[in-house]
Amino acid sequence: MSSSKAKMWEKKMRHQPTSVQYSSTPNGGDAPVSGTYLWWSMCRLCADCVQTVCRLCAGGAFARARAAEVSAMLKAVNRTTGKCHVFGSLPKHMRRRAMSHNTKRLPLRLRDRANRMSLKAGSKKEPAKNKSRKARRRHGNMLLEFNRRQRKNVWLETHIWHAKRFIMVKKWGYCLGHRPTNKCYRPCYRAMNSHCLLQDHSYYCCIELQGEESTLLASLSRLTSKEAGPTFAAAMTLSGQRQGSVVVYRAGQYPLQPLGPVTFLWRPQIQGSTIRQLWIWAHPTIKKDLLPELQTVCECCEAVVPSINLMGTPAEVVPTTECEQKPNETPEAKQITGTKRKKTCKDATGPPTKKIIGDGTRSPTTPITWKSSSTGVIINDLTMEMVRFRLIGPQSLTVLSETLETAGVHKSKPSSLWWSEQCKDESKRSLHQEQSDIYRLLKGIHLTGELPPGTVLGLTVEDPRLTLPTKKVVALPHVKQSEEKSRELMLKGVPKHCCQSYLWERSVRDNVTENKISEQELNRRRSEMLVPGSRLTPTPPQSRIPILLVHQPGKQVGCEMMSWGAGWDLLLPKGWGMAFWVPLVYRGVRIGGLNMSLKHSQIKGVPHFPHDYPDCPSGVAFQEEQEAELLKTFKRRPPAKRTNYIKHGCLAPFRCPWQQLAEEWEPIRWNRERRKTVRSKQRQSVTSFSLHDLLNCHEWISAAFMLSRNRKSLRLLSGWCRPTTSKGQRPCRVGDQPPLNHSAVMSFLTAHRMSLVWVRLSTLSKGKPEPHAMVCVPTAEDLQLLNKGPGSSGPQEPPHGDHFKSRIKHKKKGLRKAATSSLSEMSHLSASEPKPSSSKEPDPSQSSSDLTFGLWPDPLPRVTSHCCRLTLGWATQGDFSLSVGCGEALGFVCVAGLLKTLSNQPMEHRGMLLLRNPTSLHYRFVKLTIEV
Amino acid sequence: MTEPRNPGMSIPQTAPTHVESTSTPVEMDPVEYTLRKRLPRKLPKRRNDVYVNMKTDFRAQLARCQKLLESGGHREICVHGLGLAINRAINIALQLQASSQGMLQLAANTSTVELVDDLEPEDPDEAGEPMTRTRNNSAIHIKLPAASVQISSV
Repeated sequence: MSSSKAKMWEKKMRHQPTSVQYSSTPNGGDAPVSGTYLWWSMCRLCADCVQTVCRLCAGGAFARARAAEVSAMLKAVNRTTGKCHVFGSLPKHMRRRAMSHNTKRLPLRLRDRANRMSLKAGSKKEPAKNKSRKARRRHGNMLLEFNRRQRKNVWLETHIWHAKRFIMVKKWGYCLGHRPTNKCYRPCYRAMNSHCLLQDHSYYCCIELQGEESTLLASLSRLTSKEAGPTFAAAMTLSGQRQGSVVVYRAGQYPLQPLGPVTFLWRPQIQGSTIRQLWIWAHPTIKKDLLPELQTVCECCEAVVPSINLMGTPAEVVPTTECEQKPNETPEAKQITGTKRKKTCKDATGPPTKKIIGDGTRSPTTPITWKSSSTGVIINDLTMEMVRFRLIGPQSLTVLSETLETAGVHKSKPSSLWWSEQCKDESKRSLHQEQSDIYRLLKGIHLTGELPPGTVLGLTVEDPRLTLPTKKVVALPHVKQSEEKSRELMLKGVPKHCCQSYLWERSVRDNVTENKISEQELNRRRSEMLVPGSRLTPTPPQSRIPILLVHQPGKQVGCEMMSWGAGWDLLLPKGWGMAFWVPLVYRGVRIGGLNMSLKHSQIKGVPHFPHDYPDCPSGVAFQEEQEAELLKTFKRRPPAKRTNYIKHGCLAPFRCPWQQLAEEWEPIRWNRERRKTVRSKQRQSVTSFSLHDLLNCHEWISAAFMLSRNRKSLRLLSGWCRPTTSKGQRPCRVGDQPPLNHSAVMSFLTAHRMSLVWVRLSTLSKGKPEPHAMVCVPTAEDLQLLNKGPGSSGPQEPPHGDHFKSRIKHKKKGLRKAATSSLSEMSHLSASEPKPSSSKEPDPSQSSSDLTFGLWPDPLPRVTSHCCRLTLGWATQGDFSLSVGCGEALGFVCVAGLLKTLSNQPMEHRGMLLLRNPTSLHYRFVKLTIEV
Repeated sequence: MTEPRNPGMSIPQTAPTHVESTSTPVEMDPVEYTLRKRLPRKLPKRRNDVYVNMKTDFRAQLARCQKLLESGGHREICVHGLGLAINRAINIALQLQASSQGMLQLAANTSTVELVDDLEPEDPDEAGEPMTRTRNNSAIHIKLPAASVQISSV
């Protein structure tokens, strides 16, 4: 039997019962013949062969075998296989499509069976009936569902608003909006550039430190260094007038082991109290490292177990007051309408659902306060205790001043509300008056960048929902001519006592959160007003909110586009997020997601956390994540359609092996040095040096790379990078800088071993840099290309050969051969139909182990000298910059390599480097600047 | 352009880069302080205001003014220049005048703009307060009547 015939036979006999095997071996043949086959042949040959058969076998055995066959046949007829439906038994002209879902279309005799079958199938498909949409959308059920979904990742207060408009990502334990679903890249840029962009930064974690100023400063000084800029102790920030920012290191490890950048704010000193309060705002990924570090530094390890009435988990305490009102309302509703039976039932069975305000993932018993018995320092974890909105753009102050009105002084009868308590005190009233005066002056200032950077202003404002415009409006500035007072404000900033705010006090914060009027209640009061659309009078006493306004300085480094992207941060007590968010949105601001904060820092030219902190633990984690993600998308393409990065000479297209880069540049320098020492020592004929040098070298290599953040040395480096004379630029002042010569370089390098430096690269003419682009050293011929004109494009990289391709092919072929040979050993029936899974199985395992088409396998060769130009570093971010109008990249280069390159370059071309994208062979000229 | 600057409303002007310190006269060591310039105060920009800078291409700025003049949407356009850009602002205005065959009348005003610098101490822990100082810089504002108005006046 040929293979095709065997296949046909196999197909035909697929549904025949094989249970009956009758070994009819009349001629002594040993091949078993299946029972059914025998039956059919028997029928055919019955007439003439009956005698011979009878002669061959005994009657009893024969009858038994036939009985078994008959029963098997009956079984086969009755059984319906999985595929065919009941109506398969109908002749074709009687079948209708609708029969498959409506059994009533079937003839009566089949209906019963069909019903039984659909029941069987139905039980498998739908395990439980979902609630109806109406039930699901009911308020209580919705809250339950929301609370369930918040248990794993924290939701910001504006989550629902964002989820309707943004692509949400789960990051760092939060649900955050990544980018809006509508196309608005350019509008968002324009908003940052000329109007205002709003972002919710509530996911930033706040850690509060309380204690004596001197003890706090002494312990915090171990985390920072003065070399890298102002620290916690800077005079301006210590008074509470300015917000500061600093990079935090592990205790006492200064140039090594950084944790990340934080911003901090001191509370202005209260008269008669020596206890100071400090807020440290950190990214959530920093927090988990920073908090233990702070505890060790401050010697605070006694966790205070939160008691419900004092600390109170936010989710627990706050809603209880709301819930007390709810049950009172529901019985009335029941009586009136009678349609809410279900809801009231639920109310009776269990406690009503509460809206989670604050952190929903934390269990109520997790300690959030730590105390120290020796130093008296208290650490509070204020994560999600406050809302932080960021407004970026020159008009952000205009938007704020249209949205917020300072609270009116309250003189009515005393109540439990905090504002009426405060208004009793004369000094507090006058302070409020001063603060509102300053706020009024601020309105007259046109641009956000005109103020001293980092200014803080405390305020008490009215509920912005009261002044919500009926339609979206675009806030426009009203500028008065400058007066003496506003000039003084611009010069000196906000006076010290006006930076005080009640937001610093926990009791006030909790009070404000508890007594917030619900949206529903507010709308009810509005509906009761005589003139629809007018402002609610008198203002409800609950709606006075303490806030803090913190100025965010814009671009402060470099000399172009100064204070671009300046803005204000708005700090609110928790629970008030949406009450402020919607009025701000109604003033015509744009809303940005996470990708806009990346763009913001990119245009400002500052490293973005955690993308550009490869030496911090969270930066490393981010890099790994990013690599895995990029690799996944890369592997999703068929190999023939992938970019072959090996041919492009790109060793690591998805990550930047900084450590290897730094290590490779060190020996280059060391070799040169050794050669010189050899030469000098040969003269002296001393040979005992080499071992010592080797040891030295080893010591250098074993160290981890670091980023240089020392301001002085960065300033020195940036001076060296600038071309001394160039077209269209005045010769820059060299001033007191030492010239770039060998001795200066050597002394610099001994101070900065294995270090990388943050640089900004802008293309001269063409080219759009991409992340992970290589920064390379131009040769002397390349620089002559540059002399031809600004439009001349850079050199080309000759394509590399891919010798891994053949290896992958060989391996694949070998595998396939092995697979087919092993299969052919099986019976020919199965061999003719090779299982598809067996040939494909080794593929992913192989790629995951080592070889992936288009990528270098893991132990990389030398990254510096792999291409025809030496590699100095990589760009971590790159894009076409809308603000400058050319391609711009930000990244790190190796200090040793950079200095070597600079010293070899002629004066007029200092700082000219080459940049090559991972997917291209074309080098583009870029200008390097180090901004301090 | 070689035309001498029109003094306009005679404002006592010495060298434009002259630094005038309003805060207490402390000798400033360049190593100890970092100078950060703040943005100049700005009034809200109308459609017919052109602020000239030194970064944008000269021809592009000229073409922009030309376009504004020819569009006829405005009665006049104002060209502003500050500091180094004064020269360029005058240049643009005169080029526009030359291209209109002398039909365009210029009205130039000069003014003084107060600029604010921040001085951040290098070693902030000991040095104490960061300082601010003000300095003055000259500015020019040239008014150019648009073509349609000019024809009616002739």
